[in-house]
Amino acid sequence: MRIELKKFGTTLISRQSGKEAFSAFQSTMALVKSDEVVEIDFNGVITFSPSWGDEFLTPLSNHFGDRLILLSTSNPSVKITVKLLEDINKRLFRNKT
Amino acid sequence: MEEKLLTITEAAEILGVSLDTLRRWDKNGKLVAIRKEGGVHRYYRQSDLDLFESDLIKIALDWTIEESELPSMFYCENSAVFQTRLVKMQNAMIKSGLSENILPLIIAVAGEIGNNSFDHNLGKWPDSPGVFFGFDVVKRQVVLADRGLGILSTLGRVRTELKTHTEAVKVAFTEIVSGRAPEERGNGLKFVRRVVAGNPVSLFFRSGDAELRLKKDNNELFITRSQINTRGCFAIIEY
Repeated sequence: MRIELKKFGTTLISRQSGKEAFSAFQSTMALVKSDEVVEIDFNGVITFSPSWGDEFLTPLSNHFGDRLILLSTSNPSVKITVKLLEDINKRLFRNKT
Repeated sequence: MEEKLLTITEAAEILGVSLDTLRRWDKNGKLVAIRKEGGVHRYYRQSDLDLFESDLIKIALDWTIEESELPSMFYCENSAVFQTRLVKMQNAMIKSGLSENILPLIIAVAGEIGNNSFDHNLGKWPDSPGVFFGFDVVKRQVVLADRGLGILSTLGRVRTELKTHTEAVKVAFTEIVSGRAPEERGNGLKFVRRVVAGNPVSLFFRSGDAELRLKKDNNELFITRSQINTRGCFAIIEY
């Protein structure tokens, strides 16, 4: 499954909207098969921040573990946020280049 | 050609303040009105209003220090208004041609600082809730301020050993605070530091009597004590 983050908005900033996005994703999440890979697509996102990321990516990572894969992006706000979340959670995300 | 003069009512609408506030600002010299010869009514030039609105730092400081009335265009009373204006700033920056290497970082940094104000003060604002949020795409400057509890008071709930504003500001910008209770901490200011350390962005940040300066492309933290003890947090981002 591929999650296109732009469907949640192009400015992914606040903790509150990150929580809302994760809540909205719950019903889709239940459809993911136990061996299925979940890819995060940042394409089309203009701004991404740690508050939003911590409410959406961190619980997804907790749930899917190594089955969660971040697709590559040149967006600097995504890159710095992902690195910070890795440092906070002491766990690296899997990346697909 | 002589510039058309605006009435006090028109000026109040443009600035988003009351007539009484404009009269008070005229008396104390903050925004002096024009009087036609022999007349008693106050008039304003559009260019004077533009000049007044362009001094983001002064307007923000007057609000945080003296609690003067804030022009509505700068006031975000809740986080929904703040998110809307962040997107407005993002659109203005796109229109100004700002590079996509820096644009998302400025929006994210402003977002983290502004959202911190709401996340840590919700239901606990000492008086005026909300944040001041102003930006100038020509000067390449963003100013944010709140009249909240400040870093020492909010971070002190999870780090009880912190005693001074300078210690608290240092921890906020450098240490990953893992304690999630009694309130969630976003570690957003660490993000801000990382952005500034590797990019052409600089930050001035004040909370209580602590002043922090982060300089562009520099990982060093410059923290000093100020003569002024500001309420809440005050930030200037330049890029």
